Amino acid sequence: MNGVHDMGGMHGMGPIEHEKNEPVFHAPWEARAYALNRAMGAWGKWNIDASRHAKEVIPATEYLRMSYYEKWITGLVELMVEHGLVTRQEVASGKPATGAPKATPALTADAVARTLGVGAPTSRDVAVAPRFKVGQHVRARNIHPAGHTRLPRYARGKLGTIARDHGVFVFPDTNAHFLGEKPQHVYSVRFAARELWGEKAGRRDAVYIDLWDDHLEQA
Amino acid sequence: MVVVENGPKLHNIVVCTLCSCYPWPVLGLPPVWYKSAPYRSRAVIDPRGVLREFGLELAEDVEIRVWDSTAEVRYLVLPERPAGTEKMSEEELAALVSRDAMVGVAKVTAPQTGGKA
Repeated sequence: MNGVHDMGGMHGMGPIEHEKNEPVFHAPWEARAYALNRAMGAWGKWNIDASRHAKEVIPATEYLRMSYYEKWITGLVELMVEHGLVTRQEVASGKPATGAPKATPALTADAVARTLGVGAPTSRDVAVAPRFKVGQHVRARNIHPAGHTRLPRYARGKLGTIARDHGVFVFPDTNAHFLGEKPQHVYSVRFAARELWGEKAGRRDAVYIDLWDDHLEQA
Repeated sequence: MVVVENGPKLHNIVVCTLCSCYPWPVLGLPPVWYKSAPYRSRAVIDPRGVLREFGLELAEDVEIRVWDSTAEVRYLVLPERPAGTEKMSEEELAALVSRDAMVGVAKVTAPQTGGKA
């Protein structure tokens, strides 16, 4: 979707605030928001792509106003409601309703490292032929899907060169919507800064973007 | 994980314009600035300006490569070894490397006191 989360190349976002000796969390609730997200992900009801998309659909004005972990909690609540883990009434009251779903077995503290440490790899060991070769010229497709996509707006329609083939991965654009993993090759594609941003960009500079077969066409 | 190496004429910088992808297993959770709109929006269009805000001025003939982490591949910058560190041990060198240098918004500098080791 052409959302405000897709902000590469935008102006007007202000200066970068580089905090010295920054703590990992700025308040205890942030650590809780982080832990909740990881623990709820362990139910296996959704995937990382759906989880990213849940934050992208936060209305633009809210998205820009919210802090990082506010977005995490907002996205998480939507996923939990959508997948029947909580009701909005439970979220509002902070109390579980009678018969609310419970994880079995419950995720106990001693199981956290074992369960969450392994993550959920998105590379796939399947024989899918690559559509492009290293060194080949490609064009990022000029597409504007209304759903989740990992093809940033600033690259669409632009010419690049395949710099590296990373192998086969799940395709987030379908996986985020539970429309299948559609495993395919992911490439690091080199785009000259001038191709993306025009004559004022550095002559030698480049942006490398990881893109899937379905994001690219022959140039 | 892909490690990209800096050199005298090449500087790498990592960003995630779409969300906040970052090499967690190595660097831990990302700092707020990395996840913020100003960094995410400008790193790709104005890397020199962004680096200047971090106090790093690069010469015009240095190629800048910006790595936009749009997939599950994570990028880590291998900083350029600073001059005057030839006699330092691996441990001493490791102590000079900062998180910011591995994201690509800082260089690694030799200790001012030089030769103390």
